[in-house]
Parts: sequence; C-alpha cells; structure tokens
Amino acid sequence: MSSHAASAPAVLTADSHATAANKALLVGVAGIVVTLIGLFFSSGHVIAFSWLVGVSYWTALAIGMLLMVMIHHIFDASWSVVVRRQWEHGISAFIPLAVLFAPLVVLAWLPSTRDIVWPWMNPAHELHGHGTVGSDVLYIKKSGFLNRNMFTGMTLAFFAVWIWLSARLRKASFTQDTDGDIRWTRMNRVTSALGIPLTALALTFAAIYWIKSLEYHWFSTMYGVWFFANCIRGALCSTVLIMVWLYRRGDYNGVLNTNHFHSIGQLMLAFTIFWAYVTFSQYFLIWNANVPEETFWYNIREINADGSPNQWKYVGIIIILFGHFVVPFLYLLSYRNKIVQPRIRFIACWVLCVIFFDLCYNILPALKDDLGNAEPLFGINLLWTISAVVGVGGICVWSYLRSLPKEKLIPIRDPRIEESLTHHEQHAH
Amino acid sequence: MAHVAQSGAGTAPAILDEVKPAVLPRAVLVSNNRSFSWITEKICGIIEGRTPAWWWVAFCVALFVASFTVAGITYLVATGVGVWGHANPVNWAWDIVNFVFWIGIGHAGTLISAILCLLRQKWRTSINRAAEAMTIFAVVCAGIFPVFHVGRVWFAWYLFPIPTANGVWQNFRSPLEWDVFAVSTYGTVSVLFWYVGLIPDLAVLRDRFTVAGNRVKAFLYGLFAMGWRGSNRHWSNYEMAYLILAGVSTPLVLSVHTIVSFDFAVSLIPGWHTTIFPPYFVAGAIFSGFGMVLTLMLPLRSIYKLEDLITQYHIDCMCKITLATGTMVGYAYAMEFFIAWYGSNPYEGFTFINRAFGPYAWAYWIMITCNVITPQFFWFKKVRQNTTLVWVLSIFVNVGMWFERFVIIVTSLARDFLPSSWGYYSPSIVEIFTFFGTFGVFSVLFLLFIRFLPVMPMAELKAVTPQADPHANHEEFTGHGDPVVERGHA
Repeated sequence: MSSHAASAPAVLTADSHATAANKALLVGVAGIVVTLIGLFFSSGHVIAFSWLVGVSYWTALAIGMLLMVMIHHIFDASWSVVVRRQWEHGISAFIPLAVLFAPLVVLAWLPSTRDIVWPWMNPAHELHGHGTVGSDVLYIKKSGFLNRNMFTGMTLAFFAVWIWLSARLRKASFTQDTDGDIRWTRMNRVTSALGIPLTALALTFAAIYWIKSLEYHWFSTMYGVWFFANCIRGALCSTVLIMVWLYRRGDYNGVLNTNHFHSIGQLMLAFTIFWAYVTFSQYFLIWNANVPEETFWYNIREINADGSPNQWKYVGIIIILFGHFVVPFLYLLSYRNKIVQPRIRFIACWVLCVIFFDLCYNILPALKDDLGNAEPLFGINLLWTISAVVGVGGICVWSYLRSLPKEKLIPIRDPRIEESLTHHEQHAH
Repeated sequence: MAHVAQSGAGTAPAILDEVKPAVLPRAVLVSNNRSFSWITEKICGIIEGRTPAWWWVAFCVALFVASFTVAGITYLVATGVGVWGHANPVNWAWDIVNFVFWIGIGHAGTLISAILCLLRQKWRTSINRAAEAMTIFAVVCAGIFPVFHVGRVWFAWYLFPIPTANGVWQNFRSPLEWDVFAVSTYGTVSVLFWYVGLIPDLAVLRDRFTVAGNRVKAFLYGLFAMGWRGSNRHWSNYEMAYLILAGVSTPLVLSVHTIVSFDFAVSLIPGWHTTIFPPYFVAGAIFSGFGMVLTLMLPLRSIYKLEDLITQYHIDCMCKITLATGTMVGYAYAMEFFIAWYGSNPYEGFTFINRAFGPYAWAYWIMITCNVITPQFFWFKKVRQNTTLVWVLSIFVNVGMWFERFVIIVTSLARDFLPSSWGYYSPSIVEIFTFFGTFGVFSVLFLLFIRFLPVMPMAELKAVTPQADPHANHEEFTGHGDPVVERGHA
C-alpha cells in the first residue's frame, strides 16, 4: 500500500505556501520575459496573438471556476463543498488577469499598434486585396459594435462583473468560516442567481470581442456556448490537479475520498460530451449549409489559398477531434480512470493541453502570411504562445497560492460540509 | 495489491476538528412524517377507489375533444393534404409547429427521469412517473402530424429503410429521415423506461388486488408485474436496468430535439440556419416540458390531496428549472437577433426585423412575453408559493412555446427571398380541428393513466422519506467516506 498520505505533513505550513507562491511568480515572470524575447525573433503581431491566447486561456479557467462556485450554490450541492474553497481561491486571479489583459487594450490605443491584434481597430488596415477595413461594407455595418471605445468599455465591464462577483462570493464564504452565520450561504445563493446570467452574457461577449472578431466577417450564434464549454472543462481539470496536489501534500488527507474524484470525473465526462455536441453542431451546420460567408472560417483552418492542405487541418482532426473529444471521452467512461489519482490527473493535464490547442485553433489562424494563408501552428511562434500561457499561468497560480493559506482549507461552517466530507457514492435514484 | 490510502482512518487532519456546520436543514421530500403504509394507501387508493365523477366528466370532455383530431384527419385522408392552409411560400406550418410543440413537451419526462436521476436529484421521485407518462402521450400526439403531412398516409412506411420495396430509397441525408429514427427510438426507450419503473408498483397492486379478492385485476397487474417478488436479486437487477436506461435515455432525449432543430438549421432559410439551434431547442423543450408538468401536476396535487408528496419544495424546483431554461431560451433569442445584425446578412437581418415588426409581430411578442418575461416571475418566492399563479404561468409557458415554433417556422417562410411570392399563412379549420383534438388525445391517455396506474413510484418515494435515511436522527458526525485510491487497483 502506498502510505503517501500517512507520511505527508498534515497541513502545509504558511512558509511552504509562500515558497510555492514565489516559485509560481518566478515562473510567471520568466514566461513573460521569454514571450517578450520573442519580439526579437517574431513580429509584434505574433507576440500579441500569443499573449491573447495566454490571457484568454487563464481567463477561461477562472470563469469556469467562478461558474462552478455559482452553480454549486444554486444547486445547494453538497459533495463539492470541500473543493469549492479551491475555486474560491482560483477566482482571485481575475484581478491579475485584468491587469494582464490591459497591454492588449493599451496597444489598441497606440497609433502604431492599434491593429496589432484586431484588424478592425484600424480603419486603414489593409485587407488582402480587398481594400481597407474602413471601406469594408461588412465592417461599416457592425462598426457601432466593433470599435475601440466599445471594446475597451466592454472589456472593463467583463472584468468588473467577474471581479465583483468573485469578491462577493469569496467574502461571504470566508466570513462564514469565522461566524458560522447562515445568511452568508443565502447571500451567495442570491449572488449566484444573479451572477450566472451576468457571467453568461459577459463570457459570450468576451468570446465575441476577443476571439470571434479576430475574423470579423465570420459569425456563429453558438460561439459563446463553445467558450462556456471550454471554461467549465478547464476549471474541472485544474480542480483535479489541485485536488491531487493537495491530497498528496497531506492537506486533503481525510477530507477527500474516492467519490469526490468520481463525481468530478463524471462532470468532466459530461462536459466533454457537451463540448463535442456544441463544437460538432457548429461545424456540421456550417459545413452542411455550405454558405461561403460562414465556411471561409473553417476553410482557413484547412486549406491554403491555393487549395493545398495546411497544418491546421491536421490540428483540427488530430488534436481537436481526437484529442479534445475522442480520447477523453473514451478514457473517462472508465470508473477506475476517474478515481485513481494518477489516471484522472493524466487526463486532466491532457484536456488542459487540448484546451490550449483549441484556443490556438480559434485565435492563431487569424494571423495571415503575405498570401493570406493562416500562419502554421508548429514553428517558432508556438514557443511564444506557450511562454505566454506559462507566463500568465504563473501569475494566476501565484494569486491562487497567495490566497490559499489565508483561509481555512475547507469551508468549516458551511451547512453542507458534513455531507461533503461523508460523500458516499449513491445510487442515482 | 491494492494501493489505497487509508484516509480518514487514524490520520484525520486537525481541520476536521474545526468542522462545525451552520444549521440549514434540507427540505423534506415527503412532509408530515408520513409512513410507508400511508404512501402505499395514498397512491394505491387512487386506483382502488371508486372512479370519481370529475374523472368521468373530464374523460368524456377529453374524448369529445379528441374526436376533433379524428374528424380532421379523416377529412384530410379522404380529401388530401390540400385541405390544410399550406400554400406557397409557407409549405410547412401547423403540422411541423404542432409536431415540435408536442415533442418538446415530451422531453420533460425523460429529463426528470433520466437526467435528474443521473444528477442525483431526489426530488424527482414525486413527479417522474407522471412526467414519463406525459412524455409517451406527447410523443403519440407529435407523431400524428408528420405522418399525416406525408399526404398519402398509407405510404408513410416509405420512411423506413426498406429499399428493395418499390425501388424507394430514403434520403438519409435529410434530418427529416433522422427524425423517424430519433423519435421512434426515443418513444420506444421512453416506454421501456416508464414500464421498468412501474414493475415494482404493479406488483404491489397485484398483491393488494389478490388480498381484496379481485382476481381479474390481480391477474392483469400480475401479468405486467412479470413475477416481481421484491427479492434482493430483483431489486439489484431493477436498479441496474433503471440506471442503464437512464444512461441510454439521456443522449436520446438530447438527440431528438437536436435532430428536430436540424430540420431547420441545415437549410439556408434565414431565421432557420443558425448554429445555436441544437442547444436552444433542447433548452426550449425542457422549458415547455416543465411547463406542462406544472400544468398537469398542480391540479392532480390538489384533487388527490397530494401536498405531502408534491411539496412546496418540488414546486420551487420546477419553477426554478422553468426560470433557468426560460432564461436560456431568452439568451438564444437575443443571440439570434444580435448575430442577425452582426452577421450583416441583409436577408437574415430582414427576417428578424420582420419577426418583431412584420405581419406576424403579434405572434413574436406573444412568444417573448410568455417565454422570456413570464418565467421571470419565478424569481419571487411569493409567486412560487401561490400554486394558482404558478399554474396560470405554466399555461403561459405552454402557449409561448407553441408560438415559438410558429414564429420560427411561419415567419421565415412567409417572407422568403422572393418578395413577389410573399404570403400570409392562416390555418384552415381542418388544421385547427386536428391540433385542438390532440389535447383531447393527450388528456384521454393521461386520465387513463391516472385511473389505472400508480401516479408516483411508491418504492422510490419511500426511499426519500426522512425515516428511510439510515443516518436520520444521527446528530453526530461519524465518518469520512470511502478511502481515496491513490494509485493502482483497489
């Protein structure tokens, strides 16, 4: 028998948390520095796009955690009480994320870099052989929505919503640890009831502004739902990593049991299917209708201007189709794969990787070469994208680790805490 | 060798000593501390007692209403599908509207039974049986419309893949063909799911009629109880079968309405071709399904004095799901409208402006009022606690969801790409008869269900009573759950 838990310290000391936080900060800074070094090897466009991937990725995870907290409250769920505290720490990352997103907004306001990411920010931006953005009738029609003022205001509003909700949820939960007042639970339910639709709207329009509008001719009503699915999947997978990490460090010893892993594994499976449902529906309906104003978005991700296949085609088939759906779907069908820690940790890491590639798939092909072809994924540019994700991630993990030791490991006064600690596998009915 | 961390045993961390939960009792699912025998008597009493006068009145009215469908269909078969109000450019209208309307209602049963079962929502037990029955009856009503819309109904079997017969080859690329398989599979599995759940209760009725000396009824209930004796093995197999059927039903319930949405979304018609249709239709189906469950269960609760079994908590849950799904539907409406503008396709933009301000604006605003605004009343506890108001609001939901399908289908077709062909669709009396009558068909079947089958699953209800909880009245916190499997095989 592995007696890992027995030999581990009962609870991490504040010092060890501080050390871990410092390490995360160091990794974050290193990632940012490496990304900036990329400016010497790749264009500013590439680095800015990489940064967008990095910030979007971690914002998606934080949104997912925020939604999980609110869904937990709205369902009056019991099993997830012991892991909810980790989500509450995770959503502390919204403030650093807002700061990390700021460079993209600032660049959009500088005359020389206004179209460094979003072409529509600059009316003089040249469209490959089709005049400029300013003369593009498709842009003119939506210019009331796609303009710098709206973008800046809306982005501020998105983060304001997320930060406000996170602060309310965190404060109520942490305060309950000390006074045990039931009104905090009730308050969080009200916050969640209002917060879920607010967050849904914010994440939808964030996905539209930040990602979909990179190719502003294209449109899909499903896009917000696709982003939502990735948010939840990312949050669940990062939660698994935290659970395993804390368990193996001894903190969660005696707190978590097999059924917590099983439950979160079941949610991972459900949202794997949901993601596939949403993504397939979008693809299928566009493919089947075969309208050029919609299919071009997928064509860019499949073929070059001369009709030859490009790298993205294989990214789509191998990583998005198999990596993002088939592999985790089949893997998570197994009961044991959901409860054995190294196994569920493996698939959590896997899915976190493919979410990264999914975001790359949605963001990076908007970077075009001189012929109008999508820049390939695999090459030097990928290095900067990875370093950006690591950089932003380091800062987010730092934020999480700074919050972690300040509060109780679990919500000790939550009304459902005992149900969570004794979470038994139940017959479903 | 198993590699299991013996968490909890002997190494419980100090944090557990600090656990002192605030008190917030969970709502009881069977109130007034009712005993097991009370539940049995209550449910079986509905079947065993004399047929109440109201039932006969309702049954006769329902039969009369159902005769409208028979009359409408008979006239159609005798005359031809031209007796419906369809004409260019609206070649799909009430037939598909009514089909989607009824199929949507048919979703709540499987949702409550299967998805809430998988989500471990125990409150489902009071309403799942009636909702499942509702599903089946709604699918029956739904099936009438596409079958008779084929025109010569005696050729409806062409829909099935029998390619060697008459050289007919089905178009497998059409979602309408997929509908045939999706709906028939869904109907079959729903019946199976419903029936499997009924078996233990049928056995109870068999035994009670045997004791009462009613041999005919005892035989009939016994026949369908399939020799159920309530042994451990029976229960074990039953639980497994139920769980598997729940697992099978869940993707089915989602697939059916997804395919129904594909009927429209795969086309190029503005207002139909939009990528959010699949989840939007599913959310709408759940919304309308819960609307109908509330419409049916609240009177049933009142008539049979089932307040201890369908508690305020159950009503709260149903209202909240209706609110959530209604808001999702509202999100989809908003997203469609927004992307119609954002996409800058003039035809798409026109369609949505036309919906809101064109000749069918009245239908559009009825839809918005009923589906988006009405459920918002469920935010308020006072509204949820007023069962009459909840019932009225649930009617609005039903009306709104019918209008949603009408708006999607008719407004997009009535003003298509070619202005010279624009028209205004109005239903003929035959269509109105046929649709009106389906409420009678549905009611007849539902009334028969109430009269002859247990409206609630007795065994499951007993399992969620406070006294069935092995930890009931155990104030003390006693354990830490199963050990965690760290690696390897347990």
